[in-house]
Amino acid sequence: MFQQILLQIFQKLNNERTVSAAYHLLRGKRSGQTIQDVGLFQLHAYFGLLPKMTRATFDAEVHTFMQYSWLEIQESGHYYLKKLGLQRAEQTPDFLFDGWHYRGNEHVFFARLSLIIQSLSYQRAGIRSFSPISKDPQVQAWVRAFLLDHSFQSGQLQQQLFDECEKVLATIQLSNANKQLVLYRLSGHGIPGWTWQQLASERKETVLDSQLAFIEVLHTLLNEVYTTNTYPLLGKIAEGLRVKALLTDSAQQTAHLYEQGYSLAQIVQMRRLKQSTIEDHLVEMAMNEPNFSIGAFVSYTDAEKVWQASKQLQTKKLKALHEAVEGMSYFQLRLILAKGEV
Amino acid sequence: MQLEQTLAKYFGYTSFRPGQKEVIEAVVEGKDVIALLPTSMGKSLCYQLPGYLFSKPVLIVSPLLSLMQDQVEQLKRLGEKRVVALNSFLSAEEKRYALHYLEQYRFIFTSPEMLLQQQVQEKLSRMELSLIVVDEAHCISQWGFDFRPDYLRIGEWFMQSQRPPVLALSATATDKVLTDIRSTLSLQAPFEFIYDVDRPNIHLGRVLFEDKADKASWILHHIQKTAGPGILYMSSRKRAEQYSETFKQAGIRAAAYHAGFGAEDRQFIQQQFIDGELDWIVATNAFGMGINKADIRQVIHESLPSTVANYMQEIGRAGRDGKPALAILLYSDGDEELAKFVTTGDLPATIHVDRYQELMMQNVLPSQMLKNGELSETAFRVLDYWMKEEPVEQVKIRLNNLALEKYQSIYEMQKIAQTKDCMRRLLVGYFGQNLRENPENCCENCGILYDAIIKGRTEVNLKIEMVSWENRLKQLLVGL
Repeated sequence: MFQQILLQIFQKLNNERTVSAAYHLLRGKRSGQTIQDVGLFQLHAYFGLLPKMTRATFDAEVHTFMQYSWLEIQESGHYYLKKLGLQRAEQTPDFLFDGWHYRGNEHVFFARLSLIIQSLSYQRAGIRSFSPISKDPQVQAWVRAFLLDHSFQSGQLQQQLFDECEKVLATIQLSNANKQLVLYRLSGHGIPGWTWQQLASERKETVLDSQLAFIEVLHTLLNEVYTTNTYPLLGKIAEGLRVKALLTDSAQQTAHLYEQGYSLAQIVQMRRLKQSTIEDHLVEMAMNEPNFSIGAFVSYTDAEKVWQASKQLQTKKLKALHEAVEGMSYFQLRLILAKGEV
Repeated sequence: MQLEQTLAKYFGYTSFRPGQKEVIEAVVEGKDVIALLPTSMGKSLCYQLPGYLFSKPVLIVSPLLSLMQDQVEQLKRLGEKRVVALNSFLSAEEKRYALHYLEQYRFIFTSPEMLLQQQVQEKLSRMELSLIVVDEAHCISQWGFDFRPDYLRIGEWFMQSQRPPVLALSATATDKVLTDIRSTLSLQAPFEFIYDVDRPNIHLGRVLFEDKADKASWILHHIQKTAGPGILYMSSRKRAEQYSETFKQAGIRAAAYHAGFGAEDRQFIQQQFIDGELDWIVATNAFGMGINKADIRQVIHESLPSTVANYMQEIGRAGRDGKPALAILLYSDGDEELAKFVTTGDLPATIHVDRYQELMMQNVLPSQMLKNGELSETAFRVLDYWMKEEPVEQVKIRLNNLALEKYQSIYEMQKIAQTKDCMRRLLVGYFGQNLRENPENCCENCGILYDAIIKGRTEVNLKIEMVSWENRLKQLLVGL
């Protein structure tokens, strides 16, 4: 699965970036460049899937790709997918990740759910004391409040939560094997969970692939819970975990000032930041806020020219477009690309 | 039987550890008690459990703030809300509140310093307590290695005629220290429980090998033909994983365990072992703390533990149900060299001291050494601490002594592995006790028959098969 994901990312960024762009994307780096890449190349699904992946793990995979003759790195540092690599990328299945909206919060959801299910399992067995599967005090406090709010002492919560879990798992379009994987990361009284190693060896894959399959189930499940509103308990457990503000904190401050009517130059003054930083923020806004108008910075005619050129030359490379369309600044080009064709 | 019920209800355990029950019974009867139990043998349960049988608060005097905090948190985890730590961490407001409602707590932790304060003494004199616990009681004695003068000053507090019973707890105490505890705390004919280091139901095997390959094949053969549950202790994470893989391929239900796995995975392995889904744990010394499994039948050491105390603690995990268990120490010449290498790996060496000095001269942060991977994180912390405390030459001497101490500990362990006399007598003697009698099948040198202690592996336990997600969900929440 890791290979397939990497192939898909490399396909989208083909010829445009170095391999590191994919690394930063998977780790969810919050830099202007990575966030722009997400918008430009439609990489939302993969953002921050593996926040703890080491560079060594990543490089080893790239090395494998080179050995398979899927990929080659140019002198400039950019890579390109070879014919075989492109073929392989075409053969990969569509995944249902949604990294952009969860950014690792799926693990918080699962920590809460694990502790709730463990508590309910022990309660059903009549045992009051057990070693909590989540040691995180925040998760523990959250679960304690949840259990009390839902009067777990009554013994009804088990059936209600069972019904919701069964319904959501039956609804989502993923393999039974992957749903089973998630269930085996849960534990209860007399029902130990399975370690990643045990699961990966049973599934005959790497630990990383098992972990990715697990994340895909959680993203899909969370999206189902958020969009349909028919899972009161799971909805509560998922509360506050979907990222709403799509901008970085600093960009959020700039957006606030911009909405109040301050100009780019004024914001640079007020925030004592470099002009290029404020420009990054405006580009980020252009990418994420549907109502953001780039009209204050470029004319529609100019934007039209850039879109045309991008299509003709089959590139989103700023340098190439800068040469092709005269009289445009890099900032203007980035705004136009970020906004996408209207 | 009532004690066992209370144990299960509040602590989730089904049986007591050695000594706990005797001590608790004496405490509940209202006697003064001195209990000497080694660390990790559940000393705190000796006052926690009575706390649930008494109607008035238990006062615990604890000299170490960190220890106090640990115990408060442990009780809170068990669902106890009526617990308070009366110490210097409290703000004036919090302290006023705690003192005002003091009678309503079940457990009141405090320090000797706090007990010297007048408002605390006044409050305590106006309320009734069911028990006073003096933790780390060896600190009372001038003979104790970490003597606390404040304890002497609270001595008169214990002389009052109407005081509740006192429980003095410690992990270590010599006769002199015991005498001091009795007199300082004015104990009335105390019940004394002194933990017996010897565990007669754990039989001490040992096998000597010419070389490593023989050892590996002996282990595989032994594990294939004898029954668990058992723990095989290894010296490294990598080897633990290799061995566990070999066992799995041989159809044995085994799993590796070390600190490199995530917290959930570690808990899953422990639970599988306790629930009987695994027969063998192949572990580094990270395994064992907090494991409460009564029926472990075998503990095997593939390599030499770094101290006799560690060895005792690790083999002590076997046979807690009182039934026969077997501990086998495997030794081949030169194993001590590996043990030395492993234990001093976390110790900075003289070259590290020089290098630290050199970086300081160049105005480079010494933590650069850590970034370069020149030494381990633990080693750097030790080095950094002493370099800030003492002159360079002193640090070198200190580190050298530390290394020598570690070598000495390994040598003590090596003696047990190589002895031609009774291993049990040597072990017990190491802890300053005398062996009263040799049990049957005592040890390798007294004569031992493994087959008389452990069972053969007759039934082959089948690998656990996965069930569908629907069924697993049912098992977890509503039952099949």
